[in-house]
Amino acid sequence: MLRSNLRFLLAVWKANLQSAMEYRAAFLSQVFGMMVNNFIYFAIWIIFFQRFKEVRGWGIDDMWVTYGVLASAFGLVSVLFGNAFYLSDIIMKGRLDYYLSMPRPVLLHTVASRMIGSGMGDFSYGFVSYAMSGQFTWDGLARFAVGTVTGAAVFASFLIIVQSLSFWLGMLPNLSGLAVNAVITFGIYPITLFDNTAKFILFTIIPAALMGAVPAEFVHSFTWQTLGELFLGALIFLALALTVFRLGLRRYESGSGIQVEV
Amino acid sequence: MNKYWSIFKTQVVNSLAYPGDIIGRSLLIVPFMWIFYQLWKVTFTANGTQAINGMTLHDTLWYLMLAETIELARPPLARTIAENVKDGSIAYLLNKPYDFMLYQFSNSMGETVFRAVMNAVMGGAVVWWLVGPPPDSRGWPMALVAIAGAWILHFCVNAIIGLAAFIAEDVAPFVWIYQKFAFIFGGLLIPLDFYPQWLRTLSSFMPFSSMIYGPAHLFVTPGLSTFVEVVGLQIIWIAVLGALLTLAYRRGLAYLTVNGG
Repeated sequence: MLRSNLRFLLAVWKANLQSAMEYRAAFLSQVFGMMVNNFIYFAIWIIFFQRFKEVRGWGIDDMWVTYGVLASAFGLVSVLFGNAFYLSDIIMKGRLDYYLSMPRPVLLHTVASRMIGSGMGDFSYGFVSYAMSGQFTWDGLARFAVGTVTGAAVFASFLIIVQSLSFWLGMLPNLSGLAVNAVITFGIYPITLFDNTAKFILFTIIPAALMGAVPAEFVHSFTWQTLGELFLGALIFLALALTVFRLGLRRYESGSGIQVEV
Repeated sequence: MNKYWSIFKTQVVNSLAYPGDIIGRSLLIVPFMWIFYQLWKVTFTANGTQAINGMTLHDTLWYLMLAETIELARPPLARTIAENVKDGSIAYLLNKPYDFMLYQFSNSMGETVFRAVMNAVMGGAVVWWLVGPPPDSRGWPMALVAIAGAWILHFCVNAIIGLAAFIAEDVAPFVWIYQKFAFIFGGLLIPLDFYPQWLRTLSSFMPFSSMIYGPAHLFVTPGLSTFVEVVGLQIIWIAVLGALLTLAYRRGLAYLTVNGG
């Protein structure tokens, strides 16, 4: 079962990539454009830390790693599970009908059916950012990869949870946009800025810490506790996402929209 | 001009038809202002000073509130124009009895105004609660003029990017990069007053500082000489970018081929 689903996922991702490469110039311009975009955005932090040196012990090197792991996690979700950003729209327009009619896990099939080309730029940029942090080591790179995967799991789950609220609340374009912006905004700011209440929020309601600060801490130095936090966080959010989606699916009303998805 | 005024009013009324949508979108400024407060409070405390380059924490927060209000109120105009070009709907808009560019301008301004008011109300309430009352209200009319100038400049740049769809497959990367240049050289996240001198000088030669820094700076440090300087620079950039837009539009139309309909 697991192997069969994995083979299916690989086939979907391959088809997505081939589809994106059909418009090669647009795809490549999105990838490189996003990398340049990320670098220019990060320049804000370079300017800030040149002027003010550190924020409660948090310096520019930490920002390179945090921004890097967040960008890679965001990019990984965009590339592999691009429909997670559009799930609310799919639910409201009755387009789940198509996925429900297929003999594959509905949620997995739905979210994996789209690749956002610019995500490849985010994903790649994250590694460049880590390489430029001055903290690069080979075992650190392995930890960076682990942090990216767990961060991506948390982010994808968060998107699914927020967008699945459409089963109950209807169209939510603003809430979805707000949630994505909040998680990214809080994720790229030094966590040392926040008091304990805010930190609690950043681990739960807006899990930005599990996408940025905690993976960055893990990249910096290995501890079993941080590794445990990363995996536990990812598993809890994945379980929550699956539960919320399944509960919501019971309320889903068909749009009689079974059609060929190209 | 009546028809453009009508287009503007129609778009304002459209915005009012979905107040929940606008309020939801405007909520974004609340976490932004809170996080800025945390960052700059720590920074001012670490520096052990009340003012950095003449800006207090109070000035900085109100500056950032206005900068975010200007930025978050902007509709995705480049994407709209690029879609018009790519899906061919520009052909239907061109044969209407109005100028395509002035139609887009009226439409986008109608969308911008209500968004800006909501952002200013939400952002202003948070900042007032965090650092105290806004700057001297006698400076507000001057800031409003500069905000209008900033939106005209933003329209010119975005329309040029949107028209690039005549020759480029995808204009999204241009939009991202333009936005980030506006963030940095416009002083959206850090006031230009805190930049090193060479970067401030560089920024002053670009239109971005007239789009964000100029109006926001005028809001917190109002004065007639600053007003003349900010608006004067905006007029120069509007002339330059307006000319470029006219050129790009004419060239774009030359590329356009309409088949049937």
